[in-house]
Amino acid sequence: MRTRALKVLLVEDNAGDARLLREMFTTERPGSIELTHLMRLSEALAHLAKGGVDIVLLDMGLPDGHGLDTVRRVRAVAPDVPLIVLTGLDDELLAAEAMKEGAQDYLIKGQIENRALPRALRHAIERHRMQAETDHIRTNQLQFKDEFLSHVSHELRSPLTAIYQFVTILQDGLAGEVNPEQHQHLEIVLRNVKQLRAMINDLLEVTSVQAGKLLIRLERSSILDAITYTVDTLQGAARDKEITLTAATEGPLPDIWADPTRIRQILIILVDNAIKFTPPQGSVKVQARRWEIDPRFLVIEVADSGCGISADKTELIFERLFQVPDPAMAARKGLGLGLYICKELVSRQGGKIWASSVCGEGSNFSFILPVFSLSRLMAPAFVDHNHSESQITLVLTELGSRTGWLSEKVRADSSNWMRDVLQRCLNSKLDVLLPKMDSSGATELFVVAAVTDEIGGEAITKRIREKLRGSDEILRADLTFSTCYWTLPPVQRNVDESMESFAEKVVAKIQESIDERNSSRMVKI
Amino acid sequence: MSNKKILIVEDDADVRMGLHVRLKANNYDIFFAVDGFSSLTEARKHEPDLILLDLGLPAGDGFLVMDRIKAVPALAMIPIIVVSGRSGAANRERALKAGAKAFLEKPVDNAELLAVIRQALGEVVKRERPLVHDLGTL
Repeated sequence: MRTRALKVLLVEDNAGDARLLREMFTTERPGSIELTHLMRLSEALAHLAKGGVDIVLLDMGLPDGHGLDTVRRVRAVAPDVPLIVLTGLDDELLAAEAMKEGAQDYLIKGQIENRALPRALRHAIERHRMQAETDHIRTNQLQFKDEFLSHVSHELRSPLTAIYQFVTILQDGLAGEVNPEQHQHLEIVLRNVKQLRAMINDLLEVTSVQAGKLLIRLERSSILDAITYTVDTLQGAARDKEITLTAATEGPLPDIWADPTRIRQILIILVDNAIKFTPPQGSVKVQARRWEIDPRFLVIEVADSGCGISADKTELIFERLFQVPDPAMAARKGLGLGLYICKELVSRQGGKIWASSVCGEGSNFSFILPVFSLSRLMAPAFVDHNHSESQITLVLTELGSRTGWLSEKVRADSSNWMRDVLQRCLNSKLDVLLPKMDSSGATELFVVAAVTDEIGGEAITKRIREKLRGSDEILRADLTFSTCYWTLPPVQRNVDESMESFAEKVVAKIQESIDERNSSRMVKI
Repeated sequence: MSNKKILIVEDDADVRMGLHVRLKANNYDIFFAVDGFSSLTEARKHEPDLILLDLGLPAGDGFLVMDRIKAVPALAMIPIIVVSGRSGAANRERALKAGAKAFLEKPVDNAELLAVIRQALGEVVKRERPLVHDLGTL
């Protein structure tokens, strides 16, 4: 069988070593190997970028690249080309590191037997091919699993709906009298329907977490609102179990930078768990305060007087599908996904969650979330900006109604899509859509702070206007809008000034400028 | 006063019947469509006061149905409540954007369903197509 020549790229700056290696191929059938020899990493990278190389033999000490860095750079340009590194006798450790970086094999110079080199090449290529195949299969399987779970969960909902509907139809006597015993039995069916529903929801949530589809909308929000909502929602369940559910906060708390819906979701899971694992006459307490360790965060705690968790399990419980091993404690209450979802939600919002417990004396679940800070929000916009002064342009968009007044409902509805529209008009690296303002009165205000000059400001304003003019939402809700921009005097950045302190300065200027502009309206951000 | 008319667009026969029993007990007149295609015909025929719409349907999914209904002037103002096995913020937002009054996930709590229906029926206000006003720069 005739096969095409194996295209080998040898990157070696030592002419003697290169000659030795070249000679090792002379025993091969003519035309079976096509060797390209380059002396520098930069040349090699350029050659690889063109494609067509089957395998790379790479010396790890080149004039323009050294050690693991050479491996990383080659892998970055040609991740799909198998790679063998060449090292000296005393560099075996380094070679092992190179394998971790993705090299298929290593050869020690001066110790390569004559026939070994071509064989090593073929093996490396074969190993690489198998690895790629395994990766491919794995990716496909994961994707299939996600799709499968999502599909199954959705499909389970219709039969579950029918069961729920007819159980409640019987229970409510719509199909005739029901005696107390039958009623009780139906109650049991219903309880199980609810449990199934919760499980399906958890499954769907986890599927979207893993597919990276979890929608999180960060905004300036109040932790107190979330706590009050949770305690109100679960007060009934607590009362049924004779558990005292209370909330306590220390001092006035600053707002957090988080998704209010997701915060409620986290709290509901934690408090619901606490109620489940606490015996009657026990207590569950929700607390929030500034975090002692880092005041840029709030810490929220859910403490119960329940059975507790043994110390070796306090980390495991956040793993997917983990169930409390003691069946008496766990009953059969769920899939073991709640805390995993919590962990994902908290970390996606820049926080952290952990548990502490004394077995038999109750558990304490704590999580931290970042305190809202405009300067921290603005800071990334200056990262790539190395000038000593920054020009800031503010773009203000005002949403109003033809009736002259904007109802709470319209305000809330319009806020989300407006923010989406505005976000699409921005350069996500340099422009920051400022968080919602406490605007009262006839209009809703949205402000974009852009690191740009007047021309940039005009461009953004134009984009916003065009987008809003064609917007269905504006039409449907009978809204009006106006938009304008103005540029702030340049803000100086001192040589040794930190990004955050500079951002603070900029933010103060922004606030000042907006205040001035709206002195009659009293807008606060 | 005569009963309000509700069109149920749902392909699952059991769920359809469950909704029927529940809504009839609450004094609504019920009509059915079992797929996207027939939903439009049925809506034209009965001119319901409200539509309960599933999203996953044969012959045109719920989003398509909403688009079509909103495009017919005589039907455009009928409030639509989406009741779907599909979940997630993305579907919810898409449905609300397409003009749904509410988005409910299956299985829907009876009390919630009835409350949403009443609210939707109560707030049907016919309004002329509004004009856009750009107030210009401040």
